[in-house]
Parts: sequence; C-alpha cells; structure tokens
Amino acid sequence: MNEQRRTFLRSATALVALPLMESSGWKRFTSVASATASLNAPPKRMVCLGFGWGVTRESWYPDRNQVGADYELPAGLQPLAKHKNDMTVIQNLSNQFSTEAHWGSTFYLTGANRYAEPGQSFHNSISADQIAAQSFGRETRFTSLQLGCEKAANSGHGPGLSMSWNREGKPIAGLDNPVDVYSKLFSGEKTPLAQRQALLKQKRSVLDTVMEDAKSVERGLSKNDTNKLTEYFQSIRDIENRLSKEEQWLEVPKAQPREEIQEPVGGDRGADELKVMYDLLVAALQVDATRVITYRQPVESLIKSLGATITGHNMSHYTSGVRKAVSETRDRKQSELFGYLIDKLKSTRESDGSRLFDHVALSYGSNINSIHYLTNCPTIVTGGGAGFKLGQHLVVEKDTPLCNLWLSTLQGLGLSAKSHGDSTGVIKELI
Amino acid sequence: MICDCLPAQEAPTAVLPSKHHALLKKYCFECHDADTQEGGVNLAELSFDLATMESAESWQKVLGVINAGEMPPEEEVQLTRDEKTGFLDDLSHRIVVARSILSDSGGVITMRRLNRREYANTIRDLLGVEVGVEGLPDDANPGGFDTSGGSLFLSSDQFEKYLEIAHTALDLAIATGPRPRVQKIRRQCEIPANNVIKKRSDKLLKQYNKAQRWRQTKGKKSPTEFGFIDSDRVKFEEGLYKNQFPSFDYYLNGLPQTKTGAVLLTTFGGAFLDTTTVPRNSVAGKYLLRVRAGYFPGSPKHHRFLEFGNAETDARSGEFFVAGCREVTGTIEDPSILEIPITISDEASREIVLRQRLPNNRDAHRLDFRDAREAKKPAPDPALWLDWVEIEGPLIDHWPSVPQQKIFFSGLNTKLDQAYARKIIQRFASRAFRGKPPAIRYINKLVALYTERRAEGVSFVDAVKAPLAVILASPSFLYLVEPVGPGQATRELTNDELAVRLSYFLWSAPPDGGLLSLAKSGELGKPEVLIQQTDRLLDNPRSLEFISGFAHQWLNMDRLDFFQFNSRLFNQFDDSVKEAARQEVYQTINTLIRANDPIGKLIRSDFVVVNDLLANYYGIDGIQGHAFKKVKVPQGSPRGGLLAAAAILAMGSDGERSSPVERGAWVMRNILNDPPPPAPANVPQLSRIEESHVSARKLQKLHMEEPQCAQCHRKIDPIGFGLENFDAAGQWRDKEETFVIKRGVVKSRKSFKIDPSGALPDGATFDSFVEMRNELAKREMDLAQGFTQALIEYGLGRPYGFSDYDLSEEILEKAKVEKFGMREFIHALIQSKQFRKK
Repeated sequence: MNEQRRTFLRSATALVALPLMESSGWKRFTSVASATASLNAPPKRMVCLGFGWGVTRESWYPDRNQVGADYELPAGLQPLAKHKNDMTVIQNLSNQFSTEAHWGSTFYLTGANRYAEPGQSFHNSISADQIAAQSFGRETRFTSLQLGCEKAANSGHGPGLSMSWNREGKPIAGLDNPVDVYSKLFSGEKTPLAQRQALLKQKRSVLDTVMEDAKSVERGLSKNDTNKLTEYFQSIRDIENRLSKEEQWLEVPKAQPREEIQEPVGGDRGADELKVMYDLLVAALQVDATRVITYRQPVESLIKSLGATITGHNMSHYTSGVRKAVSETRDRKQSELFGYLIDKLKSTRESDGSRLFDHVALSYGSNINSIHYLTNCPTIVTGGGAGFKLGQHLVVEKDTPLCNLWLSTLQGLGLSAKSHGDSTGVIKELI
Repeated sequence: MICDCLPAQEAPTAVLPSKHHALLKKYCFECHDADTQEGGVNLAELSFDLATMESAESWQKVLGVINAGEMPPEEEVQLTRDEKTGFLDDLSHRIVVARSILSDSGGVITMRRLNRREYANTIRDLLGVEVGVEGLPDDANPGGFDTSGGSLFLSSDQFEKYLEIAHTALDLAIATGPRPRVQKIRRQCEIPANNVIKKRSDKLLKQYNKAQRWRQTKGKKSPTEFGFIDSDRVKFEEGLYKNQFPSFDYYLNGLPQTKTGAVLLTTFGGAFLDTTTVPRNSVAGKYLLRVRAGYFPGSPKHHRFLEFGNAETDARSGEFFVAGCREVTGTIEDPSILEIPITISDEASREIVLRQRLPNNRDAHRLDFRDAREAKKPAPDPALWLDWVEIEGPLIDHWPSVPQQKIFFSGLNTKLDQAYARKIIQRFASRAFRGKPPAIRYINKLVALYTERRAEGVSFVDAVKAPLAVILASPSFLYLVEPVGPGQATRELTNDELAVRLSYFLWSAPPDGGLLSLAKSGELGKPEVLIQQTDRLLDNPRSLEFISGFAHQWLNMDRLDFFQFNSRLFNQFDDSVKEAARQEVYQTINTLIRANDPIGKLIRSDFVVVNDLLANYYGIDGIQGHAFKKVKVPQGSPRGGLLAAAAILAMGSDGERSSPVERGAWVMRNILNDPPPPAPANVPQLSRIEESHVSARKLQKLHMEEPQCAQCHRKIDPIGFGLENFDAAGQWRDKEETFVIKRGVVKSRKSFKIDPSGALPDGATFDSFVEMRNELAKREMDLAQGFTQALIEYGLGRPYGFSDYDLSEEILEKAKVEKFGMREFIHALIQSKQFRKK
C-alpha cells in the first residue's frame, strides 16, 4: 500500500512552470528604460559558476613558476586556449573556515564559518551574488536567477538549494533543470491582464490573512520560537516585495531573445544539459531578464554522459587509471563547455553593439580543489564586467581569502561593498 | 551477552589529554610559544579544553595544518608516525566533541514546522487525498533528523508551494459532480502485442527484400531506384534485418504462446512492455488491476516476477516508473490471476505498464539481447506470458468522500450562505490547527476571502475552497506551536500538545479522535494512559511512517539511492529488489518493536523479515506472497541481522565494488556508536596505484601510509574487511572479482582471495564474517546507546546534546530492565519529563 502511494504519486511538477512569482522591476525603469536603452551604456552583470568536485590538480593548474601573461595552459585548460588572453587563472585563494571535504558550493560564495553560531550546528551567511542582486536586481524582472542540477550532493556541492544564500544565511531555491528555467524566463503569460491584476489583489489578501494568524501565533512564543517565526514573516515580506515588482512588470511581456531559443523538452543530462543551461543563461542576460546568475553545475551526470560508470565522488578520489582518466576527461569537457559559454558571450551583442562579454563579471570555480583539498580553490575569472586585468596567471599570497575575489568583483562592478565574508581587501593584481 | 551493570557511558569530554603537551613542546614551541608566536600562533597558552568557540577554532587550524602536512615545516624535525597518528586521533575526536558541545541547544526545543513527510500525511488525514509534495524541500538534515525544528527553515518559494498544493488537494478532495461510474476494462494481451511486433517485423522484411532485389541487379542499377539513398543505406537496412528480424520472427512464429497471449520477451528494441490505458479523464483514486498470467516451464524463478507501474512522459521503451512487483505463480497451462490494488494520482499517467522484472534500464535490456544473439539465440529466453489485463475502478467507498462530508457538514443541499461558509471555515481551521481555536480576526479575514470570491461570481464550493487553502498555509497549521508564558522558555505541555507531540512522533501525522478526546478529558497525562496510547499507536500500521522515516535517517539509508547498480555485474539487484531490501530494514525494526524483542537482534538474529522477492534473492525457498513476514534463516545462510541485510551492504558500495570504508564507518557509526570524525580536508594525496586490477585490501592499505588517514582508517577498514564476503549488491561471495568494463562489455577480470579477518577498534579479533558478527553482538549496549540518542533527537525534535546525558542514561536503565526490548526505549522516552515539556 505504501509502495503504491509513493510511486503512483509522481508529481508532474518537474514539467510544470513555476508560478510566476519572482518577477519584478520598477515600472519607471521599464517605461523609461526601453526608450533610453540605446543611449545608456549596457548594464553590468555578475555570473558565478560552481563545479562541485574540484579538478585534477596535476593537470588543471598552470605551473606556478610561470606567472603573468606568458604561461602555458595545462592539459585541463587546453580547450580554453582561444580565450587565454581574455581570462585570468588565480591560484592560492581559499575559504579559511572550510573543513567539509565534500562541500564544493555551500560556502563558496559566502566564506562563512559553519560553526560561527553558538548552539547551532550549521550557519551560513549571504553569498556575494546576492549582494550584487540587492542593487542590480531592482531594474530587472527577476532580481536574480539560480540555476542548478538534480542530486547536487552527488556532484560535490554540499548542503544548500543553489549556490546562493540570502541575507539570513538561508538557502535560496534553484531551478534544477532547463525546462523550468525556460518556462520562468520565456514562457508567455496565458492569463489575461485584468485577471492577473485581480489575482495580485487576491494574493495580497491571502498574505494579509496569514499574517493575522502569524501575529496571534507570535504572542506567547519563547524567544527562540519567535526567532523561528521570523522566517515566516520574512517569507511573507519577500513575497510582498515580489508582488510589488510583479505589479510593475504586469503589462510588460517577457522579453524574448533575439535568436530564437529552442524550448527544452527535458531529459537532457550531463554535457547536453550544461550546454542548454549556458544557452539559457546567455539568453537571460541578453534580454536583461536578470543581471545576477549563479549556476551549481551537474558533475556526476556530466561524467556519466561522457561514458564513465563510476560516481562523481569515486572520481574525485582518483588513483591512476580509470578514475584519473575520468577526472581528466571531466576537466577537459568542463573547460570546453566553459569556452562555449565565453564564445557565446563574445558573439552576443548588446543594444549599443558592444559584446555582452564586456559587461559580465564571470567566475568559474569550486571550494574544492581536488580530492579532499580545500585550499587553492580552482578559480578563473573572465568577462569585462568588473574591469579585471585579464590574460594572466596569478599566484597570489598563500591562503588569500576567496572572499577577496568576491569583494574585488563587487567593487569592480561599481558596488560600494566594504567587505564580504572574511575578506581582508581586494586583489590588487586584478585591478 | 548483556553485562549485569550498565557500563558507565564515558562522560564525553573535549579536553585534549595532557600527555600531548610534551609533544607540542617538542615539535611546536620553538616557533609557537609565548615568546616566539610565529604567525601570531601561541600554542603554549592555548587551552587544552576545546569547548570554547575560540579554542575550537584554533585547534581546528592546528588540525588543518598537520593534516595538510604543512606543520611542522619540512626542514624541521617531524613527528614519528605513531606520535602523529595518536595525536591526530585524539585531536580530531575532541574537535567533534567540542563542536557538539558548542552546538548543544541546552534542551531547548525549537518550534517545529511540519516536515515534508508529516505535511503529506497531515493533508491526507484532513482531506483524504494524496498530493505530490516533490516541489517542497525534502528537509533532509545533514547529520540529523527532519524533525529538528531548528533546522527546518521556511522560504517564500515554499510558502507559495504550500498554497499551490493546498489548492490541488482541495480540488481533488471536494467533488460536486455525480459519483463516477465504475468501469471495468479488460484487454486480451495478444492482440495489440502481435500487431505491434508484426508491424515492426514487416517493415524490416520489406526493406530487406528491397535490398535483396537491388543486390540481384549486381550493381547495374542505382540503389535509389529501390528507395535507398546509397549502398551504405542498403547495408544498414540489411544489418537491421539481420539483428532484429529473428527476434520478431521468433515472437510471431516460434512461440505458440503468442497466439493466446503476450509473451514478455526482450527483443532488439528492449524489454517488452504491456500497456493498458485507462481513459484519460479517469479520476484519481483507487483502482484494481487484475492480470491473468503464467510462467514458462523451466524459466529461472527470479524471472517469474511481474513489475507494474505507470509510464512516465519521457520514458523510453523498456523503462518506466516501477511501482511494485508480484510473483507469477501459475503456469501457462494453469495461469494465476494477480489482483493488485493501485492508486492513480491526479498527475500520474493513465497508462499502466507491466514488464517482466528486469533492471530498469534500457541499455541493460539491449545488452541482454546482445548476449542472447551472441549465444546464437533469437532473443533472451522468455519467462512470462500474459493472457489478459483488466482495470476496474475508480473504487469509491463513500460519495461524497468522508473528508468532504466533514468539511461541508450540512451537505450541499442546504442554504449555501455566508453563515454556513463561516461555520465551515471555523470548523476546518480548528481541525487543521489540531484543536487550537483560531482567532476571530483571522476567521473574519478568511470569511472576507470567501466573500470576495462570491462577489466575483465564483460558486459557493469554490469560494469556500479559497480560505480553506489559506488555512493550510498558515503558521498555526504549518508549525507545532507550543507557546510559553511571557519571559519563559519552558513549561509542561498541555494534554492537547502532548497528543500532538505523541502522534507526530509515532505516526508522523496528527492525533486521531481517540487521542484528542483523551487529551480533552485530561486522561492522557496519566502515565498508564500514556503507556496504553503509546502501545496503541505503535500497534497501528500508521507507525510504519515513524519507523521508515526514523530508520531511513538513523541508518543513513539515503546512500542506497546514490548509485545505479551496474546491471552487467548485478543483474538481479534491480529496482524491485532494491526497494524490497529497503523495506526489509524497516520491516525488521517494525517486527522487533511489535514483539518488543531485544535491540541486539538488529546485529544478529535467527530470522529475517522478507517477502517472496527478497527471499528469492537470498536463496530462501518456499516463501510466498508480497507481504513481508518473519522467516527462520536456513542452516548455513549468513543472513539475519542488519549486517547481512542487502540494503545495508549495498549502501556500503558504489554500485560496482564493495567499499570496506563505507561499511566499516557505518558499523562504527550505527552499531558501535563511535562515529568516525568527518573526512579531513587537505590531506596530502595517497600514492598512486597503476594496475587496473587492485584488491580492496590493497586499495585500503594506502590509508595506512599516512598518519592523517591511518588515525581513523586503522579502525574503520578492518571492520569493512569482515564484510568483504558480501559483494556490492549484498550477495555472498568467496572471491573478490574486479572488472574493467567498457560499453557494457567486461574487458578483463581478475579474482582475489578474500581475507575477512580483522579486529574491532577495541582489539577483539575475528577471522570471518560470522566471528565478527558474534563479536559485535556482544556490544548490544553500544547499539542501544546510539539508538537512544537518535530516538531522543528524532522524538524531541532537536539535536542530541551533552545536556541529554542523564535522559539517555534514564532511558537505557529502563530499557535494560526489559532486556533492551525495542519498545521499551520508546516508552521510556515518552514517559520522561523532557518529552512532556516544551
């Protein structure tokens, strides 16, 4: 009886569009923005990609003795040869508090100390992308976008729902397959406007009603429970903000990419899935649906799609032979796909004719170096968004906080961040 | 054997043994004492008590640099291997203890949100429907339980999901139309089967004949005149024919059984699926599937199982969502009729699929087919034959449903006005809030939602649904609210609250009428009534919700779904067996709890709890029926107890090879209650092995090369060796075989002798699996301690902390008096003052 319930009850949610909730934007921008877009410089964007189980350390990192512009690309980065002058490989960045050898993404963008909160066994703080989203998100339909993959733990990402964590250090849900991403970004609204307006009004009354119950629950709660209920209040406030944004975008149809993008049908796995996600990512930036994107990438399904029969974790503990071969194949494929993304960003034009690439601060890496190593996180930055010096191989001082990179990125994007996580300053060599 | 007295649980401490002072002095102080303080590090004044935030952080860094081989620096004198191993062992364990002390909530129970399982059960309880909850986070809590209030967070996405699910559930639960007619659809299986196969076969033959006609022209005519682009295409079509046609021809002309039924043969295209489609607009609900089937004489018994489920939208032929599996006990001459109750959910496909039990993986079917072709057979040997398939339903007990009658308590043929709506809303809110009265202002706002809808011209029923859905997304429903007085942190639970805590503990669902009325009358608070109710709840089948939810997390069973088992190596460890293996663990615990048998039987017992399928997998004959039952272990079988349970063994593998590390760590964590510290970061890489075939023993040897690894693996790995006589899928083996597999073909293999000897961390040695199991069985107390801690954590909904030491002693004392009967632990926890306090 149990078994039937469990299995006959498959939800079709995987194929159903998420309710259009996170949409938003200021109306004054949209009406003005479309008219003035061509006059203004294209906006800046921040994109962070994370690939869970690190890399093959012997064949991915450039030789530490060759720094600056004149360095040799190692085998794992060979597929990126044509972009060598447009990217910088940085060595020696680490998150000092990371101790979990299987968590490649949990603290990657936050630099938090899991144990910082007494009486709690898990703590996290805001991720760098969400700092950017607080400013950049005001002007787009979606404040930020979190892309992900299914079974993220098998890909070495650790706890979390995406790479992004909100102000309270709580996980932000991600869209784990291309079908959901497409639907959120580009599927048309079938409901007529008047009905949608009525719907918004209804949603507000719903929020108002649950708040009434929340207030009576709050009475008499212990301090600890009151803190817990804060999450509920915060969720309601978040939705209220979204509804305000939704209202402002109500009459603006979802922008469609210039080059028609094929609607994913589902079932893409591994390399194909990454490619489709990259296409969608570029399309989202191109139509300015959002300016902040994180992507927690599939690794296990990637190696499976390349013919491996071992698990992602197994690969990450390579011995010579099959495991190392799989690990190196993975590196090359990831680089090749990353190169594909850079190509797309370069060939996509902004309204002023400049390259999309020039306005994106794109990072690519993981909290895991290789195997169980958590120092010298693999890091590549590219794109012109943060104004970084590209085309170099940087070996910064040992154990420089990874958060220094996030701080440099935020400042490079023109944001007034003073610090982030455990940052101690910016990376001067990048600026 | 149980010791007479309780061995005092070693009081956990985060103080590093003082003997290590000498070691630090010898190797570290030259640079890191009060005078030198290189890099700002002064170890001389660092407290050996790790249980402050600052001290834990500092020692974590010390651990980090030693693990990473950074300290002492290369040019300095190094610790000996033994010194390093001993120091790291102590330090890493003390850090784990320190982290637990620092994260101790001091007994505070944080207000708990319904987790995903509880939410689904609660919706079912209120509305009588099954809804898909996959859109909600699964609430898995790394290292803890999904009942831990502090870890159960809530986000705005989730709030919207709750509303959406509530609307779906209400739409399903409330039906205003006429009672759906029961339909019975029976289909003779041979008709569609023969049509499909004939079509494929004719197409191949037609192309082949055309190709032969072109061949006869000896190249004088162009292939295009025969409909082929070029001669390569001709070759391609000939290849298809050669490969595929014999299996289809065999099906149609070589198997007389296909004249009267469908044979579930694997052909080139994959495994044969028999599909019955109920009308697309059939309502969700219960149906009865009947199948008349028989097996082929001489077919192996493990093939005589029929899998059923529903087709997925993106399913490729041969794969589907396997919902269950039944043994076919009749022959083709004397077929049997299987009756399988199924539930079709709203979102589920209306296509019901049947297949011979096989790995649920199209590639595996193709490889089976290829093997048969290589053995000069037209196809793999057939095992099952289907005469007809029938679906009857929907089977409705009450119309309107009981939940609907409870909601619309005066029916729908009464005055449908606002006053009625208000009462409906009021009653539903009280029920949803588990007896807690909703505030009037809240009810007013809910009624206003109804009124707004009515004003928009929505029907009475639909207008009522709107506020009902909102109730199911309100905090009083979503949280188990236990308010305290102003400024207070704790108090005795009220009887109502106790009823709620009890039923969410033992049923993962809200209290039933019986429990609520005992709470109302004040009886529930009496210890003897509480005992009686605990027994009643445990005896109810709904307690399986608790057992499965608890055991899944306690025993870290999520690992079972981490891997797809390689079908080349483990053809029988398919989805059905894996599911049965999972259920075996739950059903074994269930059996022990029901009989109040000693917990030690989880380590060693003379019985297993299996069904027909798993008995077949274990090589136990004569077990019939799909239901799990207690079965005596045959002479000479290694089964009996979790150590020899397929699920536990399979979890200790990667789907291809057994993993002594995973298995050893599992035993340390779950049997010995001595969890190894987390795998350390930044340990220098182990030396490489170049051969393609390496025995598990040799692989693990590497762990002994570096003290950073050896500190834990010297304890973990030897236990794993004791389990090496079980392969990755939990079958007994005398030799370990390693394989190199490329594209489904085993390219090379090598076998190694298994040496199952080893030692437990406390030094007890063993030479075989059975000896190890016997040694472990002596440590029932360790298991009991671990179980107690897990139970406290799960039942109270907060992490087990050091402040729970007395509670755990109290429970163990009580349970021990009753020979560690599994039910006694549960009683003791429920009777404790902690369980009855906010």
